[in-house]
Amino acid sequence: MGKLIAYRLLFAVPQLLVIAVLVFSLTYLVPGSPAAAMLGSAATPESIAQVEAQLGLDQPAPERFVDWIGGLLTGDLGTSFRSGVPVADLLAQHVPATLSVVAGGMLVALVLGVGAGVWTGTRPGTMTDRVVTGGTVLGLAVPEFWLGLLLTSLFAVQLGWVPIVAWTPLTDDPLGWLRGIALPSITLGVTGGAMIARQARAAVVTSMAASYADTLTAAGVSRGTLVVRYGVKNALVPVLASAGVTLAILIGVSFVVEKVFSLPGLGSIMLSGVIAQDFPVVQGVVMVTAVLVIAVNLLLDICYGLINPQARPQ
Amino acid sequence: MRTAFRQPSALFAVVVVAVVVIVAVAAPLIAPYAPEAKDFTAPLSGPTSAHPLGTDDLGRDLLSQLIHSARTALLVAVGSVVVAMLIGVPLGLVLGYKGGWYDRIGSRGLDIADALPGLMIGFVVIAILGQGMAVLILAVGLVFCMNFARLTRAITLTERNKGYVESARVSGLTAPRILFSQLLPNLAAPLVVQAAVFLGSAIKVEAALSFLGLGLGEEQPSWGGMLGFATQHTADHPEMAVAPGIAICVTVLAFSLLGDAINDSLSGSRRLRRTKLLGRVLLDDDTSRTRDDQATTADETPVTRAAGTAEEPSGDLVLALRNVDIVADRPDGGTVPLIQNVSLTVRRGEILGLLGESGSGKSMLAKAILGLLPAGVRLAGGSITLNGSELAGRTPAQLAALRGTGMGVVFQNPQANLSPVHTVGRQLIDVVRAHDATISKEAARTRAFELLDLVGVDDPERRLDQYPYQFSGGMAQRVAIAVALVGEPDLLILDEATSALDVTTQAQVLDLVLDLRDRLGMAVVNITHDLGVAAETCDRVAVLLRGDLVETGEVHAVFDHPGHEYTARLIAAYPGVDDESPRLGTHDQRKVEHA
Repeated sequence: MGKLIAYRLLFAVPQLLVIAVLVFSLTYLVPGSPAAAMLGSAATPESIAQVEAQLGLDQPAPERFVDWIGGLLTGDLGTSFRSGVPVADLLAQHVPATLSVVAGGMLVALVLGVGAGVWTGTRPGTMTDRVVTGGTVLGLAVPEFWLGLLLTSLFAVQLGWVPIVAWTPLTDDPLGWLRGIALPSITLGVTGGAMIARQARAAVVTSMAASYADTLTAAGVSRGTLVVRYGVKNALVPVLASAGVTLAILIGVSFVVEKVFSLPGLGSIMLSGVIAQDFPVVQGVVMVTAVLVIAVNLLLDICYGLINPQARPQ
Repeated sequence: MRTAFRQPSALFAVVVVAVVVIVAVAAPLIAPYAPEAKDFTAPLSGPTSAHPLGTDDLGRDLLSQLIHSARTALLVAVGSVVVAMLIGVPLGLVLGYKGGWYDRIGSRGLDIADALPGLMIGFVVIAILGQGMAVLILAVGLVFCMNFARLTRAITLTERNKGYVESARVSGLTAPRILFSQLLPNLAAPLVVQAAVFLGSAIKVEAALSFLGLGLGEEQPSWGGMLGFATQHTADHPEMAVAPGIAICVTVLAFSLLGDAINDSLSGSRRLRRTKLLGRVLLDDDTSRTRDDQATTADETPVTRAAGTAEEPSGDLVLALRNVDIVADRPDGGTVPLIQNVSLTVRRGEILGLLGESGSGKSMLAKAILGLLPAGVRLAGGSITLNGSELAGRTPAQLAALRGTGMGVVFQNPQANLSPVHTVGRQLIDVVRAHDATISKEAARTRAFELLDLVGVDDPERRLDQYPYQFSGGMAQRVAIAVALVGEPDLLILDEATSALDVTTQAQVLDLVLDLRDRLGMAVVNITHDLGVAAETCDRVAVLLRGDLVETGEVHAVFDHPGHEYTARLIAAYPGVDDESPRLGTHDQRKVEHA
């Protein structure tokens, strides 16, 4: 196991480095000068030169890159061009909301997805299977932000079960935090759950049709034990294998969904960053997302190694 | 092709996609107002007769916006899927075809791209290039290009080693010619399916970006933009969110169902042909039987010799089959007979060989005895008794109680007989506990240890904590036998259990079976297509031909003087059976050894 962890850590380093290079070179892709783009119509040659100096764009690229990486490692991600606030501070303020809803959404997705996958996969071809599997197709088609909108309309506006603007930091009030992330988590969980349910169902169908299921059944193992202990574990293998991708998708979706719930997450600063072409903020958000996904992937791979013995390096 | 599109979901998909396309094309003709026309007398009117879906804060008609939004949605979706394919397909072709370092680096690149949410790529593109139609198409296209690259790479990897590509290479075609004129046509079908599905996804992404205000701006109506506006009015006009949401939902659903339908019709036409073929072959069998094999019509009594037939109600009779019929239900309501009128008996300590070629119904018979017939196949008549109690017509729960204590089974594929993600010990212990729920953990493990020891697995303590893939084929089959033996069954069924093993390992496993039979006194049904195996291990054999039992009898008698022409042919076809085959000869020695 130690080997696996070391191996995965070693792979994460070049992965992060490649993403850092991509994120860094982002400003070089802007047609014309990024400074001009950021200043918009207010640009004058003097102000452009000033902003370029401020962003370090007047330095040669390799030098800037070394500075930028150095900054990353010491937690200095530059300063927002619009607000003048250090990007690191902005991220620190906005990461908790994103993390909360994505974690909540992933949890809901796993419970819904594995549950539905095992439930339908053990009775393929039945009416229940067709209805639930049809439901997952619908779940994938529903735009998440619309689902969020409907949930808000129903539970916040009509029924008043949760406040409309609901974000409360965990450290302030754990119960309020839970109420605040409940609807966004369900919204994300439906999408993620639909994705997971399809994989889990396919895995359970295969696993229940495999001859080991017959071997164990014939040897006297009850159907319940077979489903709970063997079906679920075999279903988790593909689910975990692609959980990193599912998570990345959910983070992306959360950026959209958080607008519906007025959550102060990374999506809100990304959105204003994109509209204002505030590159330090955009770069910061991309970087922190990548680190988040890679870190979770690392954990998932370790879980995957625990569950699937053949994935461990020999 | 047509049959697949007769499915209601496919019909729905085709109709919806057609409607959306027509609405998009004819938007100016259908829409009651121009989308930007402002009716200052009725801002935020809510649904009225003049404005069925109401108006926005500037009095613009929401129905007209909804209709014109279909244009935006389709334009961006089609444009972005084209962009995604233009980037992704060539990339995937090159990675898959070149292989080696290209592929290793390229695939790592694709893995790294996985660390970023697709929408994030869209955000970044818009941040760099600003807003506008072309940028939106590029942004959404880049979100999906990796998926096309991955799919193309995967298919190219499998296709590149196929004969037609090899021969194109040998005949001197250049790599680009091979890629685009030979490989690409074979990719067309999966790419079309993928494209249909991504058209739907692209509409969703476009809607999300427009919802956030990163789309095309106020003037160009879009469903996402309309929903963005609706969020500001959840309290006073909740109905505003309904229509655009349903429009997105239904359109996305239609495209994804369309992809499924195309996929089904491409692979389904093949599947359909196969079932038809199967039906015909079986029908042919019926006619050929009446024509060629006049002597063996279904209701003829099989050749039966030697003592110990079904009539003997002896106490040591473990398994008795009487007039067993098994049929497969066809989708059209008819049935295909798989086993017809088979009667068999097996006694304590006896090994019965069930012989026949592939498709003769041997394994179906075994599954029927075990109560594990696959869906769509059922016992249509006859009786199966185990230790005198009837199995036919039992509920699954009653059968479950008999399994393990009454019967055990070992199937052909050594690796598939055990769950790949559980240790061997875990599986043995689960079976032990299935028989004795109160047994302690330690006792169950001890029992598992004893069982591995019994079947001749060395170092059981260490082996218990290993996974099936760490076992050789022969050792894995020994473990499978151990699993079958947990409940001390009266009947052990070996379903081609040694067929996948090499000759030496096969002999060792068969020796183990003979040894266990002698020690535990079980009855054994050994299903095999290998006459040598039957000759070495069985006391009696039963020969199946296309679901009919054509001959049963003591193994020597049958092999020396086959009573049915098919048995004779089977023996003649077995290599090395002519004149005193050494393998057939070992039978007697073995019997003496084990006596």
